[in-house]
Amino acid sequence: MKGNLSTFGVIAQIAFRNLFASRLKTIIVGGIIFFGAFLVVVGTSFLDSIDQGMSRSITGSVAGHIQVYSSKSKDELEVMGGFSMEGANLAQLDDFAKVRDTLAAVPNVKAVVPMGINGAIVTSGNTIDVALSELRDLARKKLAGHASAVDQAAYEASKGHLRQILTVLQGDIKNLGQLHDERTVSKDDAAAVNRAASPEFWASFDKDPLDALEFLENRIAPQATDADMLFLRYVGTDPDAFARSFDRMKIVDGTSIPRGKRGFLFAKFTYEEQVKLKTARRLDKIKQARDDRGTTIAKDSELQRFVKENSSQVREILLQLDAPKTVIFREKLQRKLGSGETDVGKLLSAFFRTDDANFEDRYHLFYDELAPLLQLYRVRIGDNLTIKAFTRSGYVQSVNLPVYGTFNFTGLEKSPQAGALSLMDMVSFRELYGFLTAEREKEIMALKSAMNARDVSRENAEAELFGTKQTEADTVQAPVQAPVTAKPMLVPPRGKPRTVVAEATPGIHPPEGDGFGARMIREDLTKRLYDPQQLQSGVVLNAAVILNDPKKIPQTIKDIEAAGKRAGLPLKAITWQKASGIIGQFVTMMRVVLYTAVLIIFVVALVIINNALVMATLERVRELGTLRAIGAQRRFILSMLVIEALVVGIIFGALGAGVGAVLVSVIGKVGIPAKNDIFYFFFSGPRLHPEIATTNVVGALAIVMLVSGLSALYPAWLAMRVTPRQAMQSED
Amino acid sequence: MKIIVSVKNATKDYALGKVTVPALRGVSLDVAEGEFLSIAGPSGSGKTTLLNLIGCVDTPTAGTVEVGGRDTRKLSERALTELRLNTIGFIFQSFNLVAVLSVFQNVELPLLLQRKLGKAERASRVTALLERVGLGEHASHRPSELSGGQRQRVAIARALVTRPQLVLADEPTANLDSVTGQNILEIMKELNRTERTTFIFSTHDAKVMANATTVVRLADGKLVDRLTGAEAVAAAVSRPTTVAGVTGVSG
Repeated sequence: MKGNLSTFGVIAQIAFRNLFASRLKTIIVGGIIFFGAFLVVVGTSFLDSIDQGMSRSITGSVAGHIQVYSSKSKDELEVMGGFSMEGANLAQLDDFAKVRDTLAAVPNVKAVVPMGINGAIVTSGNTIDVALSELRDLARKKLAGHASAVDQAAYEASKGHLRQILTVLQGDIKNLGQLHDERTVSKDDAAAVNRAASPEFWASFDKDPLDALEFLENRIAPQATDADMLFLRYVGTDPDAFARSFDRMKIVDGTSIPRGKRGFLFAKFTYEEQVKLKTARRLDKIKQARDDRGTTIAKDSELQRFVKENSSQVREILLQLDAPKTVIFREKLQRKLGSGETDVGKLLSAFFRTDDANFEDRYHLFYDELAPLLQLYRVRIGDNLTIKAFTRSGYVQSVNLPVYGTFNFTGLEKSPQAGALSLMDMVSFRELYGFLTAEREKEIMALKSAMNARDVSRENAEAELFGTKQTEADTVQAPVQAPVTAKPMLVPPRGKPRTVVAEATPGIHPPEGDGFGARMIREDLTKRLYDPQQLQSGVVLNAAVILNDPKKIPQTIKDIEAAGKRAGLPLKAITWQKASGIIGQFVTMMRVVLYTAVLIIFVVALVIINNALVMATLERVRELGTLRAIGAQRRFILSMLVIEALVVGIIFGALGAGVGAVLVSVIGKVGIPAKNDIFYFFFSGPRLHPEIATTNVVGALAIVMLVSGLSALYPAWLAMRVTPRQAMQSED
Repeated sequence: MKIIVSVKNATKDYALGKVTVPALRGVSLDVAEGEFLSIAGPSGSGKTTLLNLIGCVDTPTAGTVEVGGRDTRKLSERALTELRLNTIGFIFQSFNLVAVLSVFQNVELPLLLQRKLGKAERASRVTALLERVGLGEHASHRPSELSGGQRQRVAIARALVTRPQLVLADEPTANLDSVTGQNILEIMKELNRTERTTFIFSTHDAKVMANATTVVRLADGKLVDRLTGAEAVAAAVSRPTTVAGVTGVSG
């Protein structure tokens, strides 16, 4: 033992002294190892910190730790980052109560939140529609003879606003004609706009306002509808349970959906990106880039594009201006710009042509003085939103929901993927998705009995509908499609034509009369309370599972699937990484990139170190031969060279890891600012505070030791083949 | 007298590419304990090859070499190394000290490889030997700080530190001037006399041969004759063509 120790001592001593004797080689080899260990420590601790931050953000928002859905589904579940408008094609889980009870019995499960994800088109009514609707109401009052003096003034102002809009549209058509081929503008459309903008049209307007309005609605309004479709992705859930389980969710504007009420919460990101006045949104973005990133309009081409777009696209604002507002705008802008120009469009264009010198000033003027006169958001908090979605079987279903507010997830505020998901109550979601809710089922029963409707099998449907002399106009649209559970089709009794409108869209007035259907439609569903119990049971598409110990995700997934089998539920459980799609996999992707880089560096290091050691071995042939001649066994030579390599590995590896650890902790104290939205997303907040973990350092040292050990193998093998005879050879 | 090296009809062939070069062609030689034997001969005569065979650094192609009564052809690589470590000491023409170790550590090295002695015993033995070769005050020096003669004295100490039965020296004085060379030979002779250590050294220098009790002369891989030191010097003078060509080189 004593001998062993002293042999090791002499080997180590020879090794150390050799390293010192060949300093240059040692420094080169050591430098590479130093850099490698440094990179591994810094890289992995950054990635771990990003990973932890993102996992906190994601698990604390929609995903939870585990997502559960039906194993019979055709698609895989993606709660975030899905690119399709429609949700994934998932099979339904019929009874959430059973799912919840089954999951709650699994160890480590803390909470289960019901969910469903889908996409829809939303119409909010465009500026012309709103203006026409306002004017129509006032015209009706006037015709009925109970218009007050205020109403009379509003009537005139409303007319003025419409004339203003028509002037804008006329300008649009003129511009289009100049820009493109004349043929791209429909002659009929142009003629209609010109007619509507003519003084004669307005002179005779008061004679038959409803007739004139019909012309405007039919011929003019469609020419400006394009910009008013919103594409929304939303999650239907139990709003209470959602807010309770996902601590990252924060209400930004308004309130959460009250218990038992139907309602909609906009994702703040979507609300800003899609609903806000484009000009204002662009101003926000310029402001943010200048404040957060310190860029300037002069340097940043994207900001220059925003300025250009704001300057050229003033139509959105012009359409909102009625006559009095036009006057105010003209006066304010003339004063600000010191201009004698009277065209508000040109004034706005000049106003938005900002540069770094005047941006702040104009930004504040816009928000302080101009914005209060404008409708900044097409849908305001408190408005009713009509959501039209395709049900699973292809019918269009629509639901009217009040917008209670906006929300975001802390850390994912700027993530387009996480910010694309708005929220609604599960009851409304089920209706939009085509599930039959208990409430609706009751209503249908009532409607059926009221209308004497009877069930017709699918095979006989055509004969029943078209086999008689009935015209198409006599058929009535079914009030509710419930194709999933109600297979037989609903056919109204013959000879009793009745109009039932299932969709409640703005601008269409509820039918007058006392029929059941009319009463149904007049009743505002949005005000009706539903039984909160409905959220605890019924159909869901998926469920988020929150765990007590997030480290046991793989085990819990196994437990959940096993529990599902025992309960006869087709449950499939996936990790949050998988469920959050591209977001969850980003860290994994970055890890792959880092490890590839580390691998390449170490392969290069391996080659260089190996080469250096081979050279060193060849230089030492005589010494090695001498050692062999005087009685050193081969394994002595082997251990000598391996120890040499390991000593370099340990010393320089520890140095590199140490410097890396110090750097990470210094940076961790200061924090790295997120330079732009992409970094903000990766950092899960405005600053990243990386932390050093023992595993980072130990991992780095292990890799370094492995690499230096491996790189010593070939030279050591060469050294072992040196024969004692080679000691006898003369110097040259 | 006890025979410690017995070479019987040994041949050694080296492969040089596709050609086989015979270095030794049937050499027989017995070396008795306590001999101070010189292997002489011109370059290429097979001196180093014979030393390698005796030193267990190589094994013969045919014939046998017995060292301390053990047939080297029957020993494994490991056992040969053991034999070298415990039975033989080596002195090289170019000293072959480990440059990064001190004088003391160079001498101590074989003892460390042996793993037989404790630290204190090793130290006392190394110190005594260094005193013996006159380098007691240079123990902590590096080989690069020493002269050629001093380095060879370190090498002698290293060769003797394990108290081997046999010390092999391949042209130990070839890299030294004649005074220093003679000095080294005196030390070797002294150790041979007091410790009864057997010395076998190769040389082509007649003056060096003169120190030997026995001179074995080689030519073209064959043993030419076996003489005493004095005879060998005389023979070199009377038959200059055989050995003196080499003497001339050294002179």
